[in-house]
Amino acid sequence: MGKNIEITELEKRLVDLLAEGLPLVERPFLVLAERLGVSEEEILTTIEGLLEKKIIRRLGATIRHNLSGYEGNVMVAWKVPEERIEEVGNSLASKPFITHCYLRRTYPDWPYNLYTMVHAETEEACRRLVEQLAEELALSDYEMLFTEKEITRKKRKYFTA
Amino acid sequence: MLTPVEKRLLDRLQAGLPLAPRPFKKLGEELGLSEAEVIDKLKELKERGILRHLGASPDSRRLGFVTTLAAVSVPPERAEEVARGIGERPEVTHCYLRRHRMNIWFTIVAQNFEEVEKILEEISHEARATARHFPAEKLFKLRATFKL
Repeated sequence: MGKNIEITELEKRLVDLLAEGLPLVERPFLVLAERLGVSEEEILTTIEGLLEKKIIRRLGATIRHNLSGYEGNVMVAWKVPEERIEEVGNSLASKPFITHCYLRRTYPDWPYNLYTMVHAETEEACRRLVEQLAEELALSDYEMLFTEKEITRKKRKYFTA
Repeated sequence: MLTPVEKRLLDRLQAGLPLAPRPFKKLGEELGLSEAEVIDKLKELKERGILRHLGASPDSRRLGFVTTLAAVSVPPERAEEVARGIGERPEVTHCYLRRHRMNIWFTIVAQNFEEVEKILEEISHEARATARHFPAEKLFKLRATFKL
């Protein structure tokens, strides 16, 4: 699955720093430049290169949904018949309130193959959305996995310890 | 909970930060705010926990890494302790307690799938239950941003 691409030492160090996050100062790229011993301009062109090569998806904000009006979110594991995977996967992916939709490995005692993250304003609204989806797509076998508690949410360090 | 200005700022920032020496000045110009106002607002949003992260999300697959979703079911009274242990591993990027018999769910980013298996074995040993993973076979959608 991993497609290896060429990546320079500077790119590696920059990827880890960008994943850590930018400082909220007037010239954040200058701070990174000083840490890596290169010019601010070099940082900016290297970031452009990382975006072009799709090593980073974007440089921007990640927000916490549950504190910004979307309190409810639920992971749903759906059991979808083999022959309907494409149709159902595409239908689910087209919904604006669904942010993630993956086909995943199953086990005999865990037959759910499609996983979605569903977002709504409240837990109740989430539940209703999921029930509507189930009816619309004629899926009767699914599990709603509500978050009890977030234990860890962090970025992995790829190249630096 | 969010003011109209905060919503516009976060929506704009989810699309991406301008690649310029003074990115917050540029953002401010677009939104009719001063550079200092943008920076102060962002600091405040960060403090309130709404702005989780301002930076980049590397595509682990492009970097040659593999990712997977995994879960383990443990008795409720041990769940939090086990989950904390799992979450402390450097390869585990997300770990949640979920209201379900299958109560601990986590994601792993590793060098390869042999490493994933090794991590799962260690976790199973510590959890005294079998941790399994559900690697992705197909991606239908991944959208990290959210219109406010």
